[in-house]
Amino acid sequence: MAAAGAAGQEKQLAPTLLSFFIYNPKLGPKEGEEEKKILFYHPNEVEKNEKIRNVGLCEAIVQFTRTFSPTKPAKSLHTQKNRQFFHEPEENFWMVMVVRNPIIEKHKDGKPVYEYQEEELLDKVYSSVLQQCYSMYKLFNGTFLRAMEDGGVKVLKERLEKFFHRYLQTLHLQSCDLLDVFCGISFFPLDKMTYLKIQSFINRMEESLNIVKYTAFLYNDQLIWSGLEQDDMRILYKYLTTSLFPRHMEPELAGRDSPIRAEMPGNLQHYGRFLTGPLNLNDPDTKCRFPKIFVNTDDTYEELHLIVYKAMSAAVCFMIDASIPPTLEFCRKLDSIVGPQLTVLASDICEQYNINKRISGAEKEPQFKFIYFNHMNLAEKSTIHMRKTPSVSLASVHPDLMKILGDINSDFSRGETMDEMQTLQLLQPC
Amino acid sequence: MAADVHKKKSWEVPNGSLAPGDGQHTERSESPTPGLAQGTEPGMEHSSPRREARGGKSSSSCGLGPPQPCGRGRWAHSSPAGPAPTGCCGMGRGGRSPLHPSPSMGDTRTDAAWPVVPGAGQEGAMFVHTRSYEDLTSPEDGAAAARSPEERRGEPAEQSSMEQISKDFSELSTQLTGMALDLEEEMRPGKEGKLEPSPQTARRDSVLSGKEEEDVTMDAWRLHRKHVFVLSEAGKPVYSRYGSEEALSSTMGVMMALVSFLEAEKNAIRSIHADGYKVVFVRRSPLVLVAVARTRQSEQEIAHELLYIYYQILSLLTWTQLNHIFQQKQNYDLRRLLAGSERITDNLLDLMAHDPSFLMGAVRCLPLAASVRDAVSSSLQQAKAKSLVFSILLSGNQLVSLVRKKDQFLHPIDLHLLFNLISSSSSFREGEAWTPICLPKFNSSGFFHAHISYLEQEMDLCLLLVSTDREDFFTVSDCKRRFQERLRRRGVQHALQEALRTPFYSVAQVGIPDLRHFIYKSKSSGLFTSPEIEAPYVQEEEKERLLGLYQYLHSRAHNSSRPLKNIYFTGPRENLLAWVTNAFELYVCYSPLGTKAGAINAVNKLMKWIRKEEDRLFILTPQTY
Repeated sequence: MAAAGAAGQEKQLAPTLLSFFIYNPKLGPKEGEEEKKILFYHPNEVEKNEKIRNVGLCEAIVQFTRTFSPTKPAKSLHTQKNRQFFHEPEENFWMVMVVRNPIIEKHKDGKPVYEYQEEELLDKVYSSVLQQCYSMYKLFNGTFLRAMEDGGVKVLKERLEKFFHRYLQTLHLQSCDLLDVFCGISFFPLDKMTYLKIQSFINRMEESLNIVKYTAFLYNDQLIWSGLEQDDMRILYKYLTTSLFPRHMEPELAGRDSPIRAEMPGNLQHYGRFLTGPLNLNDPDTKCRFPKIFVNTDDTYEELHLIVYKAMSAAVCFMIDASIPPTLEFCRKLDSIVGPQLTVLASDICEQYNINKRISGAEKEPQFKFIYFNHMNLAEKSTIHMRKTPSVSLASVHPDLMKILGDINSDFSRGETMDEMQTLQLLQPC
Repeated sequence: MAADVHKKKSWEVPNGSLAPGDGQHTERSESPTPGLAQGTEPGMEHSSPRREARGGKSSSSCGLGPPQPCGRGRWAHSSPAGPAPTGCCGMGRGGRSPLHPSPSMGDTRTDAAWPVVPGAGQEGAMFVHTRSYEDLTSPEDGAAAARSPEERRGEPAEQSSMEQISKDFSELSTQLTGMALDLEEEMRPGKEGKLEPSPQTARRDSVLSGKEEEDVTMDAWRLHRKHVFVLSEAGKPVYSRYGSEEALSSTMGVMMALVSFLEAEKNAIRSIHADGYKVVFVRRSPLVLVAVARTRQSEQEIAHELLYIYYQILSLLTWTQLNHIFQQKQNYDLRRLLAGSERITDNLLDLMAHDPSFLMGAVRCLPLAASVRDAVSSSLQQAKAKSLVFSILLSGNQLVSLVRKKDQFLHPIDLHLLFNLISSSSSFREGEAWTPICLPKFNSSGFFHAHISYLEQEMDLCLLLVSTDREDFFTVSDCKRRFQERLRRRGVQHALQEALRTPFYSVAQVGIPDLRHFIYKSKSSGLFTSPEIEAPYVQEEEKERLLGLYQYLHSRAHNSSRPLKNIYFTGPRENLLAWVTNAFELYVCYSPLGTKAGAINAVNKLMKWIRKEEDRLFILTPQTY
């Protein structure tokens, strides 16, 4: 595709987010009140009538498909220029994401000509991205319905605005692929002894810090232990690995003399520090504010404070009931108990990890490239992807191959008889 | 020339149609009336512009006949005896009342309506007579339309000729079965603008089209594997595979609204995807085609099938006429013109669901010894006439031989439409039919005239002679006679009969134990070969499932942005392999117990076998006149 023809250079424009909106048709059922249906609309600058029109189109599509299947309405709409994805996470609340198809820009007679590539985007990938948007919102805000109960449409709109305004900027649509469909968790491989050490560490911590309700333990951005339900852990894992950890990478990588480093609390006994909560425990005015998260929203609907504490490559998440506000004193206690032990544990794991690596010779380029995903425990492993970062696509294979893998995935999930498929050969990617 | 039939019609239907309002027209128009070039006809006034539309310009497809004094239809029958000399006659194809607009330039106004004999559905003869021009007298559409039926009756001259014709017809007993007569009523010219369905219309939906009316709110309706809808840009229903168009008119209105909404934003709707089904839109102005499919086909394949439906409509109307109609009147109810053709469209959809020809975009040949086929081809070749463009001999949906004019090529799509036309009506067995048909891939603006007949009553061997001249029925009919004579003289009839007894070969002949079925397409010739589908694919659903698997492999291999060359698929009930090169495509089905290595070995053997048998399975040297 990159080949420049005689006609001039071709430029490929990646898929981009055109709009993203959330509406509830029940909120403005009367004519003339359509605007009331709209709970969130990005980009907000769009003119009111256009918002109403676009929402109206989605309603019409959904309604239209109910003619053919009352319980399974439309999931996506393909048009020449874009794809729209529909998701109804809670009854009557619709989320819609509109993604522009990739474009090839050519020049003919000096004028740019745009050619939309209609078959490039994979529905499953972007539907999953949309579902993740909801899961992420729900993790930090609870359900839409709960917001309505708390304070009506006004509160819901505020929460949506506050959350999505920032969250949408972190969507990197051009690098979404099959891994977004799985939204799996990468587990850290570990020998039994070390695993037991971690287990016992967690038990001790939960014992000493008795307000802790759930704990999760990660090393190198990979999960080792979690007390949360799978689905909650899956989205929390996504948040930690694509947002929270990367944001705190810089201080660790920064040299000892860098100014960033200087801000870190000087603590000679251990390397532990809070990734959420107080920056400097020695400052009595520091605020002990932790993000709130919502888990088990289907039944018990728990609201928790999320404390993430890290020492070297080991991170541990403590979740405590939101009704008990963590004080500075609690934070200091946590730091003094967890910090030293976690530091030791982290170096144990590191040592063990290096031994294992030497034995298995894992440094070599793997002979087969694969993506593995286990639906039962959400375990995911890929030798195609290099380290995940939030912004860049790091698949080490041709993007077309990733798309073919995506095609195969959607065939499997659709098919009654699709058990296995092998041997796909690309027709020369250009 | 008015046949009784004709008379009947004339009174009956006053509703508007494109046809000039005069009663005269009531018969279906048959053909593209080349002869009707403007002005040539005596009595004809200028037809309203809309009538003109039908003509195509292509001279090639239809010769302009010399001006005929009157364009009535001539029908042809097996006994040459009866036909009225003038005019051409289109025969209706069974069951449908085609309206063929005439391609020729301009004003041809023959709209035909069919004779309407209510209740006569099965039996009525369906020839379409063209009315003469005079009949058409209508000064202006409006005026014509306005005429009361009585007035129409008042034109005896015409009628008498019609009578003659119709009499001939009935004598000839060419009957197209299954036509719903009511349809014809619909077709008849009436006042324009009155779109309300008449009582007959309602009837037609249930009776004529032969479809059960389905309650479109029922689950059974929703669960059909594939719905197909055709509508006009005004959102008016043109065709629905299941359920009556009336009951679905609001649904179709929504479809049109979706299409126009996106077009207003300089965008275009392609499809809607949901769990278990997709809705695919194809826009071919002035029509919109929509499918709701629960099959495993890709969006592209479904769109491809919709295009077939579009071409099917063009083959009845021509592109030129279709456009002209809607230019004249945006909210025209096209069902009037297509009434009776539903069966052909239904048949096409059914055929696509189990015949791989459409998927492959290729034609299957009847396996036949090369010497026999050569004899048949040269007999066809010798039985030529000036106006002949294609001579086609087919059996079932398999090609036996095809001879064409030099430099003229028949697109597989056009050939499929011809096959479909023939398979959708058994009436062609009854005699010789002479019907106008547009071959949209060849020339979408004009009509050819097809002479269709079976060689012998009991034999499934149909001869199709495609001519450019609608006046040439007798010449072409004579070609058939000459062809048969030559066949007899060469003494290949027996061998041909023998071959027809086993129109499919068994996959066992290849001698590969795990091999269950395959499809091999040679890209350069547009031909494919495939053995009979045998156990375990005995039941209809199983056959469709197998085709579904082929469709799936085909769509992956031909995905526009990510095409594949080789696919090996392992399923619980069979393994499949697809291999696509520049020269051929091969799809193979194996038992589920084999291995991939075994499958690849088998492909090599299979290719050798096909090479060895190629002169029997394919037509290697296409003939020209």
